[in-house]
Amino acid sequence: MYSDRVLMQVRNLTVDYVGDHSVARAVNGIDFDIREGEAFGLAGESGCGKSTVAFALARLTRLPGLVSGGEVRLNGEDVLKFDKARLKAYRWNEVSFVFQSAMNALNPVIPVSEQIMDVIETHQPDLGAEGARKRAVELFDLVGIPSKRLDDYPHQFSGGMRQRICIAIALALQPRLIIMDEPTTALDVVVQRDIIEQIVELKGRLGFSVLFITHDLGLMIEFCDRIGVMYSGELVEVAPAETILTDPRHPYTRALGNSFPPLTGPRLRMEGIPGTPPDLRALPQGCRFAPRCPHAMDICRSVAPELRAYPELRSEAACHLLN
Amino acid sequence: MTYILRRVAFYLAAFFVAVTLNFFIPRIMPGDPSARIIASFQGRLNDAQVEAIRASYGTTGSLWEQYIGYVGQVLRMDFGISTVQFPEPTSSLLFYGATWTLVLVGIAIALAFLIGTMMGIHAAWNRGGFFDSVFTPINVMLNAFTPAVVALLLFYAFSLQLQWFPLGRAHSTGLVPSWDPQFIGNVLYHATLPVLSILIVSFGGWHLGMRNVMINLLNEDFVILARAKGLSDRRVRYRYVARNAILPQITSLALSVGFLLGGALVTEQVFNYPGLGKFTVTAIESRDYSFIQAQLLLLTMSVLVANLLSDIANVILDPRLRKG
Amino acid sequence: MADVTHTPSMTLLDRLDEAAIASAAPSQTELMRELRIKGRPGWTSNLPPSLAAFVTNPKGMTGVIVLLGLILFSLLGPVFSEYNPQRRAGKPHVAPSYEHVMGTTRMGKDVYTQLAYGSRTSLAVGFGAGLAAALIGLAVGISAGYFGGRIDDVLTFLVNVVLVLPGLPLIIVIASLVDSAGPLVIGIVLALTGWGWSARTIRTQTMSLRTREFILAAELMGERKWRIILKEIFPNMLSFFMGGLVLGTISAILAEAALSFIGLGDPNAVTWGTMLYWAQNNMALQVGAWWEIWPPAIAIMLTGAALVMINFAVDEITNPQLKASRKIGRIRRFLARRGRSADVF
Repeated sequence: MYSDRVLMQVRNLTVDYVGDHSVARAVNGIDFDIREGEAFGLAGESGCGKSTVAFALARLTRLPGLVSGGEVRLNGEDVLKFDKARLKAYRWNEVSFVFQSAMNALNPVIPVSEQIMDVIETHQPDLGAEGARKRAVELFDLVGIPSKRLDDYPHQFSGGMRQRICIAIALALQPRLIIMDEPTTALDVVVQRDIIEQIVELKGRLGFSVLFITHDLGLMIEFCDRIGVMYSGELVEVAPAETILTDPRHPYTRALGNSFPPLTGPRLRMEGIPGTPPDLRALPQGCRFAPRCPHAMDICRSVAPELRAYPELRSEAACHLLN
Repeated sequence: MTYILRRVAFYLAAFFVAVTLNFFIPRIMPGDPSARIIASFQGRLNDAQVEAIRASYGTTGSLWEQYIGYVGQVLRMDFGISTVQFPEPTSSLLFYGATWTLVLVGIAIALAFLIGTMMGIHAAWNRGGFFDSVFTPINVMLNAFTPAVVALLLFYAFSLQLQWFPLGRAHSTGLVPSWDPQFIGNVLYHATLPVLSILIVSFGGWHLGMRNVMINLLNEDFVILARAKGLSDRRVRYRYVARNAILPQITSLALSVGFLLGGALVTEQVFNYPGLGKFTVTAIESRDYSFIQAQLLLLTMSVLVANLLSDIANVILDPRLRKG
Repeated sequence: MADVTHTPSMTLLDRLDEAAIASAAPSQTELMRELRIKGRPGWTSNLPPSLAAFVTNPKGMTGVIVLLGLILFSLLGPVFSEYNPQRRAGKPHVAPSYEHVMGTTRMGKDVYTQLAYGSRTSLAVGFGAGLAAALIGLAVGISAGYFGGRIDDVLTFLVNVVLVLPGLPLIIVIASLVDSAGPLVIGIVLALTGWGWSARTIRTQTMSLRTREFILAAELMGERKWRIILKEIFPNMLSFFMGGLVLGTISAILAEAALSFIGLGDPNAVTWGTMLYWAQNNMALQVGAWWEIWPPAIAIMLTGAALVMINFAVDEITNPQLKASRKIGRIRRFLARRGRSADVF
């Protein structure tokens, strides 16, 4: 399980996308913690900003994205203010990343062995080429790929194996946190299960934390310890996985839960969530979900609710209905 | 391997299209092709040669037989007799000019590719910075200048006015072609302005091309991953980005051979450089049809060979093209 | 939902210490001001998006303005001259003066008049060839992309051959066999050899469009093929067609100039290329008659510059990555002011 010690604190994080004529605020001042050894899931529909958060934490925000405010604290240091040298030590040593599409994440023209070994040689040069190769073999064993394929090229592997290779690379330097951005979305269901089980097993053995991004709430509930639900750039609820669907606090979380058909039981009439998320370039005052919320009150449209903690429920939520 | 074979098959087909066009175009044009050709020799042909020309143009044999005959001639590299340098066979003129053009265009392409690519890499890496904001527009503007204008300007400024460079030709008269350094030096001296005029007009294209390819690559997941891994700048730049960027650039290189040969035409004309282009211009003026047709085939062959070489390079450099 | 109205809660603002509050981001409007981003001009909202993007692109619009300037000159320029471009108008090689604003050529023809009338021919040939090439490319591209199968195989082979065969030598062969290759002939030949790129681009676009649902829906409903092409596919190709048209026109203008320069054109015609041809033939530079060379040279250079700028703009619009480059400097400065640096590039 996980301890209560906090590994990473995200405070007031704001990320904008700079366009030619407008600025879209993709993430608006969010706060959350990731504890040691925990699997924290970030859920939400497409475009809610969860991937943006993932990249921001890993210092991988691509232009024209811009982290315009906030802090990401690791051991008291602000990751966003790291200079080149400190950043290099941070990269992969402390936090590594798994991309959604393994095919795109691997360099097509160099062999896979080099792609594992180059990061080892860069951060642990005293191991030498031989040491790096030994470690590469270990990593392949860890994720269950025959090491004789170490020198093959990415296109020679299947989708599931490629994602395993990416996970192997992510583990190379034994980081404390692995950020996974929709690692199984591009895979079919059977392979998905394999990969998730693999991650669970490795996490249990090696003890790293995981920030797991996905839009698949069902998958997340099985795998994560705590789940944060994002809507339109803000965190609306953070709760333990067991209770998030059984006892949701926020209307959006509740509506999400209602959108998932149960695998067993009588056929139900499904409710989607009517309406569309707001335009990030011109956000409404007040609660962003208010236009689509069945319980919206007057105050919801004028004053934005803050994320409040409810310790007995071990969860946090941002909704005027709760006060 | 199959990939290469398919490309070779395509190139052979394209070459035969060129040969066929060469065969049919004179016969489609208004007028009697053989009469026109015979006339251009201005009476210097003997009867046997006149008969030969008539034969290949329509008096003996069916169209198909003539076609086969023509193809046979092409394969034997028998391109007839030149009118300008009568009675030299066209082929010797062709290859003499081709050699000099190769020197000129070879040096120019190599330099333009290297300089342009290096500048493009630098501009893409520091996107939006000083180098990129200043030099990218300048280089691209240079690219827009027609070779004719640039050649004329250089000629005017450096050959006529300042007299720093000779007025033309590939090497000083009186020197015998050989491999010794003195001759080579002389050749390079004469080639400087012509090479420069082609260089100025073409390196901007490589700069822009490489820059654009790199900028696209810099947003690919695997490059971001390379950064995320904390790899050194040098390794990211060369093993991840440039190594991938070179592939489309090599294809562009092959495609540009065709255009560069066109630019060489104008440059050779301005600098009186005895290359294929200059001879072609002379051939146009004096209606030397055998030369004109021969140069089409030779240039087509060169472009196809260049394309084939780039295909082979692609197979070597891109593991996805190898079967397995 | 459980009744939690009176549960004691702890706002997370308690968790936000001073440092976190101090690092807060500026509001969106403040950010826009700091990065100097202005809203989209109102009048562009009525235009289709790709056109709006082009119109607000300074490089592209400069190119278009230059081109329009040249067209305007070709239309109005001749009005200001009473000379005939093909007849002697004065003494040979007269320097620019009051009677001859741009001087005269070796044969005594007025340079300004030649330039003005020559513009008409050059632009007309260029536009004609460009339009013809674009139309051929459109027809071939749509057919290959839409019908697929055997037709696609044959057409693609044709396109590849046209693309790979070197255009200039082929043009030389054709043009030299015609007794006097006037601008019209050159235009036709340029069109016949220049439609390759257009065809390839349109074919790719048609193919990707073809698999979209609305096309399949139309086919299932029994719409006839040619109607589908006309009503569904063609409008989507319009922007590619226009792009190909503009670029094709300009390259045809440049190609005609080059061909005339080397003597392939009709020496008695008056185009920018023939002007350069005669200047070169008459050793204008050596004699010092720079006014015979510069006017057509500048006209050609302007055309080339327009090509480059429009190309730049089209690149930026079709390739969103390139567009991002413009704001990068400002974003970097924003970060530097706060003691931070960009994450990746």
